[in-house]
Amino acid sequence: MSYVEVSVPRLAISLVFIAIAVFVSARLRLGLGSSLAVGAMRAAVQLVAIGYFLVFLFAHDQAWMVLALLLAMLVVAAITSARRLEHGPPARVLVVYALAAIGGGAAVALVPVFCFIVVPHPWFEPRYLVPISGMMLSSAMNVVAQVFERIFASARTERASIEQLLALGASSAQALQMQTRSALRAALIPTINGLVTVGLVALPGMMTGQILSGADPEQAVRYQIVIMYQLVAVAAVSGTLSALFARRMLFTAREQLREYGAK
Amino acid sequence: MPSLDLPQAPVTGAVPRLEARDLRVVVQGREIVAGASLALRRGDVVTIHGASGGGKTTFLRALALLTEITSGAILLDGIDAGTIAPSTFRRRVAYVLQESPMFDGSVADNVATGPRLRGSSMSPAAIADALERVGLSDFGPRIARELSGGERQRVALARALANDPDVLLLDEPTSALDPASAGRVLAVVRALASSGLAVAVVTHIEAHAAELGGRRFAFRSGRLEPSID
Repeated sequence: MSYVEVSVPRLAISLVFIAIAVFVSARLRLGLGSSLAVGAMRAAVQLVAIGYFLVFLFAHDQAWMVLALLLAMLVVAAITSARRLEHGPPARVLVVYALAAIGGGAAVALVPVFCFIVVPHPWFEPRYLVPISGMMLSSAMNVVAQVFERIFASARTERASIEQLLALGASSAQALQMQTRSALRAALIPTINGLVTVGLVALPGMMTGQILSGADPEQAVRYQIVIMYQLVAVAAVSGTLSALFARRMLFTAREQLREYGAK
Repeated sequence: MPSLDLPQAPVTGAVPRLEARDLRVVVQGREIVAGASLALRRGDVVTIHGASGGGKTTFLRALALLTEITSGAILLDGIDAGTIAPSTFRRRVAYVLQESPMFDGSVADNVATGPRLRGSSMSPAAIADALERVGLSDFGPRIARELSGGERQRVALARALANDPDVLLLDEPTSALDPASAGRVLAVVRALASSGLAVAVVTHIEAHAAELGGRRFAFRSGRLEPSID
């Protein structure tokens, strides 16, 4: 396998892209300069760290190490999706449900793939488990954050309609049906758009990476098809679970709509 | 869908349709309802007036099971509301919110909401009947969200009546209305009570409480006190 190597000085040139965004932010007074700088720094540090960690994992080949890494990724995804909610339950409550929704969606997408489609030897081979699981966890994290955000926000703005439906004899599921549907549609549409435009607009990262590193393009395409289909399952399962959990957090056992104050 | 059958208790004049016993509602450490009691019988009209923000809406919401009570009991025909499924209770105890929102669609669609929620349809004749009771006979095909405030309030009443409730709880039904529209709504409420419904109305407008007649209470310091004119 041969590829064009990126030296550290050449890597530094890519900071120009961040500088462009910082310039735009300063010029338009968006107030995002420090977020961009911190984000760029974090991305570089985190990627370098995971790079070294993967080298370490590949060298030691231990199942528990791989599983511990996946668990840590799951926890970070749950914590990330459970914050920044203006009108929802406290993050410590939300994070437990986020963990279950992300874990559930990722498990549905990953277990059949590693058992029947991309079967690694040994079963915990990190070269397969870590990147594919990472993609699923990251997608589930975004779906869960979006569903939580939309449902809690709409339960607040449409409180009168929801309560009027309850007063007319609706169950909590019926009273929240419109808000749930709209949140799930919004969460699934980017994944569906991804399916429709893949290969036409975007060549996804994993496939590009495989091709760049010299893999057979046909195999790279097959991997990518599997990944795209997995992402659909993740969006559907994690989205549905987070909508169910949001409803559980929104209503009391006597089907009364709770009121969460602004943070 | 579950039927509306409830555990049966003898319904006599002695057993109120809806009763609140020593209700307390505490929200974020603040006692909003502090031991309020009320008994509503068939054909009763009860008005509860008091200053805005004094807790009378919270009391009415608690009666409709929309707000969690901290202590006390709510009884429907002598049966503890805690033992009745909330959706079943709420079909029998109708609650109309202040400036009740209209749902998408026509007035007829709105009126048929309650039956539709339990999987049954409402015949055009039944919809027309519910609209006639609130004085909006020809309004069925109109778009609900395009109606005036007074018309919306009467559609909200017809929508509540479509569930054939025993008790009607109204939160400030006239607060946003001009005098003519308010008068029409109050006349409809009086007619409903004379048809046998037990009605409780919360209002901060004393003149409207007086116009409705019936028993009058003032909501003060979280409690109901009989109002003396």
